[in-house]
Amino acid sequence: MFDGLKDKLSSFKKDVEEEAEVEEEDLDEDAEPTASEADPDAPAESEADAAVDAEGAEPSDSDEETPDGESDDDGSSDRGLMQRAKLAATGKKVIEPEDLEGPLEDLELALLSSDVEMNVAQDILEGIRENLVGETRAQVKTTGHVVEEALHDALVDVISVGQFDFDEHIAAADKPVTIIFTGVNGVGKTTTIAKLSQYFEERGFSTVLANGDTYRAGANEQLQQHAENLDRKIISHEQGSDPAAVIYDGVEYARANDVDVVLGDTAGRLHTSNDLMDQLEKIDRVIDPDMTLFVDEAVAGQDAVNRAREFNDAAEIDGAVLTKADADPQGGAAISIAQVTGKPILFLGTGQDYDDLEPFDPEVIVDRLLGFDEE
Amino acid sequence: MVLDNLGSSLRGTLDDLRGKSRISEDDIDDVVKEIQRSLLQADVDTSLVMDLSDSIKTRALEEEPPSSTSARDWVLRVVYEEMVGLIGESTELPLEPQTIMLAGLYGSGKTTTAAKMAWWFSKKGLRPAIIQTDTDRPGAYDQSKQMAENAEVDFYGDPDADDPVEIAEDGLEATSDADVRIVDTAGRDGLNQELIDQIERIDGAVNPDRNLLVIDAAMGQSAKDQAQEFEESIGIDGVAITKLDGTAKGGGALAAVNETDSSIAFLGTGETVQDIERFEPSGFISRLLGMGDLKQLTERVERAMEETQAEEGEWDPEDMLEGEFTLKDMRHQMSAMDKMGPLDQVMDMIPGMGGGMMDQLPDDAMDVTKDRMREFDIIMDSMTETELEQPRSIGSSQVRRIARGSGTSEERVQELLEQHKMMSKTLNQFQGMGDADMERMMKQMGGGQGGGGMGGMGGGPGGPGPF
Repeated sequence: MFDGLKDKLSSFKKDVEEEAEVEEEDLDEDAEPTASEADPDAPAESEADAAVDAEGAEPSDSDEETPDGESDDDGSSDRGLMQRAKLAATGKKVIEPEDLEGPLEDLELALLSSDVEMNVAQDILEGIRENLVGETRAQVKTTGHVVEEALHDALVDVISVGQFDFDEHIAAADKPVTIIFTGVNGVGKTTTIAKLSQYFEERGFSTVLANGDTYRAGANEQLQQHAENLDRKIISHEQGSDPAAVIYDGVEYARANDVDVVLGDTAGRLHTSNDLMDQLEKIDRVIDPDMTLFVDEAVAGQDAVNRAREFNDAAEIDGAVLTKADADPQGGAAISIAQVTGKPILFLGTGQDYDDLEPFDPEVIVDRLLGFDEE
Repeated sequence: MVLDNLGSSLRGTLDDLRGKSRISEDDIDDVVKEIQRSLLQADVDTSLVMDLSDSIKTRALEEEPPSSTSARDWVLRVVYEEMVGLIGESTELPLEPQTIMLAGLYGSGKTTTAAKMAWWFSKKGLRPAIIQTDTDRPGAYDQSKQMAENAEVDFYGDPDADDPVEIAEDGLEATSDADVRIVDTAGRDGLNQELIDQIERIDGAVNPDRNLLVIDAAMGQSAKDQAQEFEESIGIDGVAITKLDGTAKGGGALAAVNETDSSIAFLGTGETVQDIERFEPSGFISRLLGMGDLKQLTERVERAMEETQAEEGEWDPEDMLEGEFTLKDMRHQMSAMDKMGPLDQVMDMIPGMGGGMMDQLPDDAMDVTKDRMREFDIIMDSMTETELEQPRSIGSSQVRRIARGSGTSEERVQELLEQHKMMSKTLNQFQGMGDADMERMMKQMGGGQGGGGMGGMGGGPGGPGPF
């Protein structure tokens, strides 16, 4: 997961760097002739500035002169000579909007081809643009560094929204803790429940599984099998019965037997099915779970935001689990879902075994994306 | 449905070209950018998008448009042809004895698709059987068995065996009476070598006539890599796109089709075994470009009518065109419409209704209409037989009673009666009208839109009467 995006991001860094460098050369080239022909006292001024910084009358003089002197200047005409001189003197460079246009367009494409949803991608670009344009950078820092920081900030902003310490939260909560899993068909809710049951057990919490998927053929058998493999108690009713009732029974069982966590499965449903979404609302109302986790697959594309939004509307979620992360080199879905729900990604499903579940750490993910861990 | 966004945004851009006879590079750039956006938003692979937009641009600019073709028509035609070229024909599926194997990522919907396909083949007069070889996922056997029962087809599976190759071999033997054998396999990650080795072994044992790749409509850019892996290991002859009843566009499937050099075979559009459609490229593209898809609409209407009739027995839609249009008829119409699927999908298939016109409606117009239909249904539950037969006889005290009985308001009941009156009036106009008048009628309906929400609701072009 994320390898695809990582490659693209590093090429974005390079692009901006190159753009900015080309710009620099341009700047150097036309800075010299300007200085020698039209404006003999420019060098003097810049030296003066370097020494005393901006002073009253002199700067305003040079501001008036520059427009005439540099009328044929291309790239940086809107930045006064004064300012340029100052930058040169303090050893700083300014990043111009034009430096960014090309690379940003490429970055947009890179984000899109990593399954980041279009509007989310635009938000990220906006963030970068705001952070970078007009930004001065010390000459000792490469443009690449500055861009990397901006990218890092923009991505961390999006991806780390609402993170909390899951283990601590569970430990502190009144027992039994009820967790309901929601999501569309086939994303891996049931498998995730089995994995989380293992996760909890490793941390000393007992669990009971409640099969609220009373719709899909074979759902009872599937969770039953997991429960047997893991040696857990499972609460299930007949196919077609009321899902809220099953989960309610699960909670009752947990109370009576001092079980710490109730993991309630629900039937997969498409967010366009009104009846099923109503049912989900009902479960949410009747059970009032301590936590609702939205499960989606990492391979999901642009539609991930629609689903996340609809599920969040029907039964407000507290976090998300992304499954099949091992089958997906892109990782954009994580970014989209976090952005649109404002809720954290808590876990990644990374394989078929019960311990293939990783806590999601945004800093680590972003660093991995930007290649910090290798540099 | 796949790419339906492209329809509206493309039409918008193309409208800018209206009246122009020559196309400038700037014009084309706008069109191409719009196409790129829509395709990317539909999850179409980025490099595929670039290829497609490049060739559209080159062709639109360099090729000489046939004389007296407007710029708009020319661009439209180029886009149409390029899209057809990309999507290709529907996967050929001869109606003869054969073995089909399904492959795909976890949770993409293979088991459900197997049952749906079996149902589809059985409707074509063949005897299908499903062979379930998934030994990994708990409950897979039970799910598959039950879905086979729902589809009323033969089934083979062995919950105690743990070698899929063995199950496949035994299954082929056990189902030798069947014409079409559909081998369902466990979900697997195409990037996982171990799982790929396994499906290669099953492929070797089954020796299928066709391998279909099952792809979730919501799948993003990973579709390309996954498809590539499956193509390399077992060879893919066609793609089935599932979960198209959601909001996902299914663009990932285009990458899969392109990558595997195959075509789209089936579309999955719901949870029951009947929710399957053969992919029809011409209708698909026409709908995409806002030309409507009458063929599919007709099919859907027919199927919905059949179902409604099967449930209600004596009701014949033809009766509506003669004699009195009662509230009962209106209810039948509503339930038939409901069976055709999401309203906006249906509307999109109607020439002149889809596309441009849909764009003018507020986003939630369809939801509102649907909610309203449901409410009307509840109100009608509180009416007596006589009231349903003769709605004009309903007085204000009856309205009050019905409102109370149905837990709605008197205004709602009045609205229902108004709606009925309007539909009844519209229907009178249809009576004795030839096909030639239809178009004029459509235009009138178009003009009448806007007042009172979806004024024309069932009585308009969506109603079964005219078709």
